[in-house]
Amino acid sequence: MQNADDKGNANDDETLGAMLSARGIGRRGLLKFAIAMASSLALPPGVAPLMAANLAKAKRRSVIWLSFQECTGCVETLLRSSSPTIDQVIFDFISLDYQEALMAAAGTAAEKTLHDAIAANKGEYLLAIDGSIPTKDSGVYSLTGGRSNLAMLKEIAADAKAILAIGTCAAFGGIPKAFPNPTGAVGVEDLVSGKPIVNIPGCPPVPEVLSGVLAYFISFGKLPDLDERKRPLAYFGATIHDQCYRRAFYDQGKFAHSFDDEGARQGWCLFELGCKGPTTHNACASLKWNNGTSFPIQSGHGCIGCSEPDFWDAGGFYTSLAGGSAAGWRNAGIAAAVGIAGGAATALAARNKSRPDPEDKP
Amino acid sequence: MKNYNFLDDDQLVDALLVEIAGMLSRLIADGEEGAIDLLGLPLSPSCVAELERRLGRGEISVGLDAIGLSEIRETGFPGVWWTQHADGSGRVIARLIEATTIPAILRADVEDVKRGQKLLLASTHVACKTSRSAS
Repeated sequence: MQNADDKGNANDDETLGAMLSARGIGRRGLLKFAIAMASSLALPPGVAPLMAANLAKAKRRSVIWLSFQECTGCVETLLRSSSPTIDQVIFDFISLDYQEALMAAAGTAAEKTLHDAIAANKGEYLLAIDGSIPTKDSGVYSLTGGRSNLAMLKEIAADAKAILAIGTCAAFGGIPKAFPNPTGAVGVEDLVSGKPIVNIPGCPPVPEVLSGVLAYFISFGKLPDLDERKRPLAYFGATIHDQCYRRAFYDQGKFAHSFDDEGARQGWCLFELGCKGPTTHNACASLKWNNGTSFPIQSGHGCIGCSEPDFWDAGGFYTSLAGGSAAGWRNAGIAAAVGIAGGAATALAARNKSRPDPEDKP
Repeated sequence: MKNYNFLDDDQLVDALLVEIAGMLSRLIADGEEGAIDLLGLPLSPSCVAELERRLGRGEISVGLDAIGLSEIRETGFPGVWWTQHADGSGRVIARLIEATTIPAILRADVEDVKRGQKLLLASTHVACKTSRSAS
């Protein structure tokens, strides 16, 4: 665990309990939230009343959210929801003081908002980052307001209480870091030291994980236990394989060999089709997506390992961890290769045709 | 869906019932409350259903509407409560078995009571007259 004494923000005297009460959410609602968060964080149920009491006494926590080299998928998955969920309550607990995709302000007004938020909450704000940070050529490949992400991170991280690296890009460099990594992209922890950092990887990350980490931090004033990759153990302690409902088929040696064979229809294990569940730590097999509706394996596709470092370069998505490709996919791969080769030949022919012949005379 | 520890439902339910009996022992002896988070256990839906069936239903069932619906009911064994919380979309976010004389979430919180008292007084004719005479 990392120390980060929680004194709340000096500019907001109202407690969360009073604020929620004024909005019609009483202590029962708060206790229910704490029960759900304790369950999500794998804490004993008996912790929930203490968690609720601490939340009631806590102040709203300032959060400054910076988006760097990213696709906005992380923000979309965390903030979009078609119906009210328990996770949205967490947004009552924070003051999202700066988030470029959501804020109305732009240009110099936005920059002033950022500077004001930093000044008002110096040493107390949480810094949330999504996206990787390009470092090549002094970080010139991603700028905001004329400043490189690299410079912004170093400056704003210096006064943060703790840093949340949200999504695989912020945590480990993600897709921008994939070979050949033309921008020299890296994750937050490659650049920042001496600050509590929690990585919440995933492409995108599971929303409940952010809610759980924030609830824990606001309740207890410190980050939850982390694994060796700085991921919260409660959510990343087990592999997808260990949580998978198809695990029994793996143990029985029942595998799908193509995406349309009898094994696939029977819902057997997708290991031979390239599933990376055995080497991937994440919570999506238990928490699932879209309010608990499903996750990739339940929808018939293997895990691609998106919450692990360098997942994009860790072999083909359809190559099994044992090294082979299933027959069905091999055929598809050959077909794709033929298609690509055919396309390339056609393109080359067209290019040669359009290129001026040096022997041609006007 | 199968349990991947290969214990059958009856064996898992028996193990849980023994644990619940142990929680009741501590409640009787020391007043110590206990709870089991069923969502934190790798139980199949059939196992949960079997556990619910064997615990049965008691005399009390309470509905709670706070950030979604919840059901809190005493099982056929006094002091053992089955609590299920859902969020606003209906998704189950917590399912507990509690060993307690009354689940904490049913008790009115003092701060809520104070707020309610103020609202109650503000809604009376006395408050209206006071407000009119003051203006």
